[in-house]
Amino acid sequence: MRRKPSVFKPGICALMGLLAMNVYARQDPDLDALKVADQMPATVEQPSNWRLFIEAGAGVNRARLGGASQQFQRLSLDLQYDNSFAPGWRAVLSDRLDVSWPPQATGLSRDINTIKEAYLSWQVQTDQILDLGRINARNGVALGYNPTDYFRTSALRSVVSVDPASLKENRQGSIMLRGQKLWNGGSLTALYSPKLADERNYSSFSPDVAATNGQDRWLLTLSQQVMDGITPQLLLYKAEKQPVQIGLNLTALLNDSTVVFAEWSGGRSQSSFTQAMRQIGITYPDDSAFRNHSATGLTYTTSNRISLTAELEYNGGGLDQEKWNNLGQASLQSYGIYRRFLQGVQETPAKRTVFVYASRQDALINHLDLAAMSRYDMADSSRMSWMEARYHLKHTEFALQWQRNSGKSLSNYGAAPQMQSWQLLARYYF
Amino acid sequence: MNYLKSSVVCFVIAGLFMGTAQAAQSPQEILAASDVVRNPDYPFGLTNTLIEYRAGKQTDTSTLSIYSKADPNSGQFRSLIRYVAPARDANKLILFSGKDLWFYDPSSKASIRMSPQQRLLGQASNGDVVTVNLAKDYQAVSAVEEDTQDGDRQTKHCNKLSMNASTPDATYHHIDMWIEVGNNHPVKAKFYTESGKLLKTAYYRRYEKQLGIDRPTETVIIDGLDPTWVTVMRYSNLVRREVPDQWLQRDYLPRFKPE
Repeated sequence: MRRKPSVFKPGICALMGLLAMNVYARQDPDLDALKVADQMPATVEQPSNWRLFIEAGAGVNRARLGGASQQFQRLSLDLQYDNSFAPGWRAVLSDRLDVSWPPQATGLSRDINTIKEAYLSWQVQTDQILDLGRINARNGVALGYNPTDYFRTSALRSVVSVDPASLKENRQGSIMLRGQKLWNGGSLTALYSPKLADERNYSSFSPDVAATNGQDRWLLTLSQQVMDGITPQLLLYKAEKQPVQIGLNLTALLNDSTVVFAEWSGGRSQSSFTQAMRQIGITYPDDSAFRNHSATGLTYTTSNRISLTAELEYNGGGLDQEKWNNLGQASLQSYGIYRRFLQGVQETPAKRTVFVYASRQDALINHLDLAAMSRYDMADSSRMSWMEARYHLKHTEFALQWQRNSGKSLSNYGAAPQMQSWQLLARYYF
Repeated sequence: MNYLKSSVVCFVIAGLFMGTAQAAQSPQEILAASDVVRNPDYPFGLTNTLIEYRAGKQTDTSTLSIYSKADPNSGQFRSLIRYVAPARDANKLILFSGKDLWFYDPSSKASIRMSPQQRLLGQASNGDVVTVNLAKDYQAVSAVEEDTQDGDRQTKHCNKLSMNASTPDATYHHIDMWIEVGNNHPVKAKFYTESGKLLKTAYYRRYEKQLGIDRPTETVIIDGLDPTWVTVMRYSNLVRREVPDQWLQRDYLPRFKPE
């Protein structure tokens, strides 16, 4: 009777050992995770000098007057080429073609090609760089309004979305000579953009040189780290026949989830209204004064990766609240001239705007990015709202965009011909 | 027999010396030695291929070129990261310089300052992707020898280090890290929140000779809450290369174009 257990003892021990190992394996999910990781392919993607995508869009606009709906379609081709073809040398080309049915605006061509950039860059030394050609020189740390982005004037040939990122992306650069000197913690950039043409050319494939090289301009930009995490950027900008404008960009980290930013530009200038009138030859008294333009705000990121930006925007060249609200009643012609001018310089008609932007990557499901934006004009209480859901795969993206303009009939956003629009987009990267 | 005796004596003496040498190595020194295994102590560049798996299926992938250089003041690495893939992100840049984070999009030419909370790469936090010298941000408070399974399911005799964040730049509140005795190879690590919740587990595996010494060429990150959420980071093309200080600032981002 006593022998029986001794015969089975090793087997029972082995069985218990196996069971224990099995239990351990079940309890240790790391083993399964490591098996999954073993599947990783050995291929490594190589950098490419090219980026090319095609985008098709279709949507419907609902008109403010009468409420009629109008369908529209769009096809866009966007190319970027960026190649270091020899040590220290770099060639950059960026071009976009938008074909719209119907055309984006009355009088505009159906096809609009924008040569965004075409320049050569020479890195003389690791700390000295020279560029020559059409360059999209962009400045500013704010998200919705960039008063130090001096080269935005007349840079938009085609507007396919009101998303600030799209407006910054799809614009024409200026032909310029640019030099940069860098040091540890700072840099100095100087650029000169000459006047090269007088007359704008809106034809489809025109380089439209006069749009962004219609006057002599120069810009100096100095950045210097003053303490850990604080690197102010100071700008001096001069356009032909205009006084020098001073600019400042500043950002700081408030805590691990909050960035604060301030962007300011100031200098003597005429009001936007006076500039608009004088630009088309209407005699109007010079109202030059020191005017401030600013955008201040913060971006807060929640623990579940929602980023929220709130920004207060001030355009010192805009009309006072009362003047703006009365302009349409006083003179529709002046109102129209003023609005057309503002489109070119990308400014608001009145002084104060509140801008909010929210975004979340991988929202609800993996690969789905959501973004929402609202602009509120404090002078006339009009509002523009925009939302986007974008789903992306390896080479393909699908997006659904919605936009709504609301407000009184001649207010900033209430005057837009479309009250509401929907657009469905598909993009393919080659 | 004499030969045997003297051999035994030599082994014992050698063992005593090794024991003394190991005993002399403080937990912090072990941690610093493991940093040297993961990161060359000179400027370098590498390619990091990230693949994310959920419930066993690949759900995301990106490829990054990373250029790193230690800051002579803090000893911590500053890094420039360039997206290679996917195509929609190609050539976007991220600058990591302590908590100074900038994102640059070559399409919009916009440089946007980011907070450390703004993760860019799914489950992998910024601190996982960029080169980090843990000994600069954490204080190892204890080292206990124990056996553990490594990322290749082999048993390794390790020092289990327990370390706490010692600077505000530290990404995690507390880390347990297993470092192999004898060669200071990091084997695995567990990252915790202040409340003691496990955030993630990382395995350092596939050791290969890179720039003179054996280094891990893969990190497997397993989510603390959902262990079926796995991110693999594989390192390739590790080369010693100059990264001028002047490049590691916002104003250089539009100009960065590696050959």
